[in-house]
Amino acid sequence: MEALTRIANASVRVAAEAGSYTAAEAKANAAAQMAGLAYGLAAIGPGIGIGMIFGKAIESMARQPESAGMVRTTMFLGVAFTEALALIGFVAFILLKFA
Amino acid sequence: MIVRVTTQNGELVQVLVAAEEGSSEATAEVEGTGPNPIAPEGKELLWGAGSFIVFLVIMRLFLFPRLKRGMDARYDGIRGDFEQADKTRDAAQADVAKYEAALAEVRAEAAGRVDKARQTLDAERTAKIAEANTRIAAKRAAAESELEAARNAVRDQIAAAVAQVTERTTQLAVGKSPDASVVQKAVQQVMGAK
Amino acid sequence: MLSTTLVAELSQRLMPQAGEGRGFSFPPINTILRWQDLIPGINKVVMISIASALIGIVIFGLAATKDARKAPKGVRNLAEIAVEFVERNIIMETMGRSGMGWTPFLLTMFIFIYLNNLPGIIPFLQMPATARMGLPAFLALMVWVVYNATGIKHQGFFGYFKNVLFPPGVPKALYILVTPIELISTLVVRPFSLAVRLFANMLAGHLLLVIFALLSAALIQAETMRFALIPIGVLPFALLIFLTAFEILVAFLQAYIFTVLTAVYIGGATHPEH
Repeated sequence: MEALTRIANASVRVAAEAGSYTAAEAKANAAAQMAGLAYGLAAIGPGIGIGMIFGKAIESMARQPESAGMVRTTMFLGVAFTEALALIGFVAFILLKFA
Repeated sequence: MIVRVTTQNGELVQVLVAAEEGSSEATAEVEGTGPNPIAPEGKELLWGAGSFIVFLVIMRLFLFPRLKRGMDARYDGIRGDFEQADKTRDAAQADVAKYEAALAEVRAEAAGRVDKARQTLDAERTAKIAEANTRIAAKRAAAESELEAARNAVRDQIAAAVAQVTERTTQLAVGKSPDASVVQKAVQQVMGAK
Repeated sequence: MLSTTLVAELSQRLMPQAGEGRGFSFPPINTILRWQDLIPGINKVVMISIASALIGIVIFGLAATKDARKAPKGVRNLAEIAVEFVERNIIMETMGRSGMGWTPFLLTMFIFIYLNNLPGIIPFLQMPATARMGLPAFLALMVWVVYNATGIKHQGFFGYFKNVLFPPGVPKALYILVTPIELISTLVVRPFSLAVRLFANMLAGHLLLVIFALLSAALIQAETMRFALIPIGVLPFALLIFLTAFEILVAFLQAYIFTVLTAVYIGGATHPEH
């Protein structure tokens, strides 16, 4: 995390020194870079989680096809809860980038 | 105070901010690209809420009950038809069962009669066979006793003749007639031994 | 790790000077999402919400006035499929038979959200009303009010909060951990995640479509190196079509998930054991 902060600060400084941006623009650029990184990090966990949920759901549906309806509903619930984390990351991305 | 900002079109312009105390507000207003894209907008929220509530009220009070009533009526109709069909099938099955019961009864009666006839026939036959057997046995017994009597008679005659011959031979050889009882014993011994 | 100077240089190379005007540049997000008022107080998103409600009313109105004894077809078939979907796949799976009274509410919610999601992929309309925070925020708040009110009505004020804060079947020592989590989860996280899930899914889909549409347009209308860029432009266009198809699925799925979660929350408030 410290390294990331250093990169962001450095990019702000370099861009500001180059004189092509105002300080505010340089800060916005840095925020945009960090936003991309933040969303990438936020997507890792839910990606793995959703993969596991679908895998296990398919496994149990194959094992007991008669309970497929119940498994599917529960699977979508689990996906919804897991996906929320990634979506909060996406919202954080939008906030960092545009707000 | 002069601030360089980018507008929404991406042009770089210089803005002279006159009022010193309002400067921070003014820069914040121009710097960003408008309001926060995530913040809910009042009119969208209110109109959305209004249209949803109108939709919900109309659905709850008028449309859904009618639709559901129609669906239920049709389902009940279909279920009634099914029940009717079931009833008809049950009646038909009862008829079939009754017919089959009658058929089985008739069949059983016929089988009983056939059995009875066969039994009387069998009894008669066995009786006749028994009668014939006894008759044959009686005849055979009579014949056998007759045969036995004849054989005994012949045997007695042979014994008498042998005794006579023996007596005569002995008389000729010895000159003296032997005791009749001894001769008879000897003859009988020889014939019995034979 | 990349060195700091490299990152700084890359950022300088990749981000063109403001006002340069050449190449591909993404427009400010508010020009994609915020719409000007067509009539004072009414913009495109508002019109989509109103139109969704009207379309829903018209579909179900037509369906309700048709002869119910005949085999359903057309509009009535559509409406009955929706009713049966909500009854079988949403209510029976989450609340059971006792939740059938919620059918009109959940059905309206499902239809309304679906009709609001759908303009995201309809050509020339191409803006899901749920990609703005207003509608999801209202719906989530309403769901929050509804399930809390249901819980209080069914279990009494103290009974409901006792069941929420001290869920039965948990060891006593764990309440230190469970109670604050349950409190925050029930009162804050649930409506927040409901609203954000719907909003962010639709916004992400909308942004994806915008990005690939802009990219294909920029490549196909390129001024230099046309012989190379135009064939390359076919690729994002194909992906755009695929994503549009994917968004149909997402529109349905998000309406379904929102409704199922509502049903789960209401069911949980009605019967605390499950």
